Parts: sequence; structure tokens; C-alpha cells
Amino acid sequence: MARNRITVVLSQAQGKHPAKRALEESVVAALLMEPGVEVSVVPYLYDLGPDHTGRMFLESVRGDMVLLSWLFPRAAFWILDRDGIKGHWGESQLKSPHADAEDDEAKVPEPPKGIGALDVPNRHIYALDMRDFNNHEVYVEEVRRIAAECRERNEKKQKATTPAVPASLVQLGLVTHDEPPAPTRLFEPEQMLQAPAGRRWYPVIDYSRCTNCMECIDFCLFGVYGVNGEERILVENQDNCKKGCPACSRVCPEQAIIFPDYKTAAIAGAPIGAIANLKIDLSKLFGGSEKDAVSQAVLERDRELVAVGRDAVGTAVGLAKRQSHHGAKPKDDLDSLIDALDSLDI
Amino acid sequence: MTEPLTFMMGKFPAPLQANRRYCKNHMWCQTTDGVLRFGFTTYAVRLMQDVYFLDWEINEGDTIALKQKIGHIETSKAMSDLFAPTTGTLVRFNPELLNDPSAINVDMYGNGWLFEIAGSDAETISMNDYHAFLEAGWEKTQNMLKGHM
Repeated sequence: MARNRITVVLSQAQGKHPAKRALEESVVAALLMEPGVEVSVVPYLYDLGPDHTGRMFLESVRGDMVLLSWLFPRAAFWILDRDGIKGHWGESQLKSPHADAEDDEAKVPEPPKGIGALDVPNRHIYALDMRDFNNHEVYVEEVRRIAAECRERNEKKQKATTPAVPASLVQLGLVTHDEPPAPTRLFEPEQMLQAPAGRRWYPVIDYSRCTNCMECIDFCLFGVYGVNGEERILVENQDNCKKGCPACSRVCPEQAIIFPDYKTAAIAGAPIGAIANLKIDLSKLFGGSEKDAVSQAVLERDRELVAVGRDAVGTAVGLAKRQSHHGAKPKDDLDSLIDALDSLDI
Repeated sequence: MTEPLTFMMGKFPAPLQANRRYCKNHMWCQTTDGVLRFGFTTYAVRLMQDVYFLDWEINEGDTIALKQKIGHIETSKAMSDLFAPTTGTLVRFNPELLNDPSAINVDMYGNGWLFEIAGSDAETISMNDYHAFLEAGWEKTQNMLKGHM
């Protein structure tokens, strides 16, 4: 029965790193033997364009899904959202081995203040980070746990909705697909291995954090951002984005903009508030006068402007909101953060 | 004799040693045979945790200026450029750390010392002042760590 099966998709690493390939292969081999699990392989998720068969496959999956990838779970989840593959966030019990149980003050969950994703269907998507463990058993075990969790949730849901079906028929006048169609297994892992995608670079918005403040659309001068009919921020022209430039992510007051391939973990979508598996830059604390995030962003933007033959604009463009209301508007978190760094007196 | 102080980083105690001076870049300073010896405080080591790599960008005998960039460190939790705590001449680096920096974690106030400088300790502060400096900056430091920009 379709609702008792779970789809597991493994998104491969970029390149052909033998250790990563080996882990991918052993995970897939083990999952192929698992009852109740459909396993498929797609290339590196972030690089999949709309025409890629791997992406079409992901779009065809209707029920609960586990995505194994070499990305931070937040990044993977919001890339899928960006691609129109939506669901509720499934909480994995796999915790990064680098996570530090002592840092409990950093683990106080913040209430989500973002605008949230749109049109989320009633299913869960679990993202697991393949970088956390190099033992396939850990992942297989977690997939089993998630499959059981989903089964339980769906059974509960079915019980709750069964008596309500006639009523909803009357109210809505149309039959809803209570039973999602079984996802067809379109691709064999072997085939997917031969279809690599070209590298791409674009921002991914985490709508659980985004407050629609429009700082990013003001700051980016390459027309990457746009708004939809409801004035909701979105990444409109992702191919205008300048490879390697994470400047908009630095000016985002909520750190809601993810560049999954960026070198620092905070920008690549590391877990919220977790100082655990990040390399924090302590240069400022140890006596350096490192650039604050906004100055860094301005430099990066100017570099990209000059590279395409335009004039550098420095701080004159896109920061106007913050500057014209200087002192008038309450400081946002980023302001406070920068103030905190400046006033450390070192 | 002054009693040693301990700064509480949340639940984690960061003991300070009474017999030496401190720097605002979270190093301690002790005069040994006429030169100033420097090392990381427990506070710094707790933020960084296990040291993986330690690189020096200057050589023994070089003249260095206060806050000049002199090296780089990478640990399990952090990376950072390292800056000179005072002006003077770099006498020597701790040779033991050049092969294996783990003494920084094991014995930061002893065998884990970093380098020796011939210069003035005018930039250093007392243990009490350093403790007060940590108190004053702790909330901001936590914010910085959580924001991790």
C-alpha cells in the first residue's frame, strides 16, 4: 500500500570523491534490501535544473520522503522548496557527531518568525546530511526509524480522516485523493550516475526565517530577487547570481539566505543557533579588526560589479533603509550583532 | 598572596592563574628570564576546543608590532588569525607545539605556552582586570557565537 512505503532519495556529492561514492553505494545497496522503502539516486540536488530527469523524479514523489545529501539539512530542505517540492520539516534524530551536548544554551529553539513556505502539502520531508557519519548502518537505521514514524503518523491521520470523508465530499464537491499514487521508480541508480548536472550558484531562501524585509532585493544589484503577486520575496532570476558571491546572505538580518556551496557553514545552511559543527571565526575576539558582515558584503558586491564593467557603488546603494532610519528605527538583530562586535574593545 | 579567580562561562569554569598578567586577546603573559612568555587562557581554549593546526607567519627574531597578524589557528570549533599581544622582538616559539599543538589543550598555562617576546608588558592587565573584562564581554561574546557571522 502506497502510504506504507517511504521514498528515499540519495543526492550524490559533486565530483567523484571515492570515499563519498563508496558511502553512497553502500547506503543504496543496504536500502534496496529494506522492505517498505523505495530508493532512488539523483545527482547533486543544488545543481539540478528544471529539465533534469532527477528533478522531475523528485517532483513526482507524493508521499513522505527522506533525502540523503551532502548538504546541510536546512539547505537541502529549502532547495527542494525552491524547486516546488514541498512538505513539512521532518525532524531527524541523527545529530551531527560534531554537535556538542554541553552547548545546551545554544540549543534553545527559537520560535519561527519567518513568513513560512506556501502551499505545503500534507507530507513530511526528512533531510539527512551524508557528511555526518561514514557508516551506512547509521543512515539505514535512521531511515527505518523515519519509515516507522511516518507509518504511525499516516495511520493516525487515516483514522482521524476516515469518518470525515463523506462530509468533505459534500463540502467541497470533489473527491480528494486520499490515497496518493504510488511513486513510480523511474530510474535505476546506475542510470543516474551517468547524468551529472552542471554546477550552479544561486541563493536559497529559508522561509522559516525570512521576514520579507526586502533587504536582499534592495542590496543585490544583479536582479536576482523579485516579488510575487502577494509582494512575497523570491529568487526570481537565479542565473543572474554571481558565482561565489554570498553578499546578500551577509546583509540578511535573519540569516535566512543560504548558499549551500559556500565555504562557511553559517552561510551554507548550518543548523540555527548551533555553534556546534561550525568553525567560528574568533579573529575579532583574539585581537583582529576583521570586517563586519555588511562591509564584507559591500566589498563582494563591488567586486562583482567591477567584474561586469559596472561602477562600484560602495555603501551608497541598497543599504539606504538602514542608513536613512539611523537612530530612528529599533535596531534589528544584525545591527545589534555588529554593535556587539565593535564594542568588544579589543 | 592573591587567590586565583575562576570565570564561569555558563556552566564551564575557566580558571585564571594568579601569578601572571593577562591580555585582552585572551592570552596570559608571564615574565621568565627577562622575556615575556605568552599562552592562551582557559577562556580562549574553551571557545576553540581541540587545536588541529597552528601556523606562524613570522620568524624568530622578527620585530613585531602590537596587534600585528602573526599566525593562524584552526581547532575543532573555530579558526582565527592570531595577533601580537605586544610590541617587541619575537624570541622563540614553543618548539613542542610546532609538531603537535595538543599541549595547548592539555596544559595551556604550562607546557602549552605559545611564544616568547622581548618587549614591554605595558599592554597587559591584571588577573582581576581580566576577570572583569571577561564578565563585561561575556554576553556579547555569547551573542557573537550564536550569530556566528
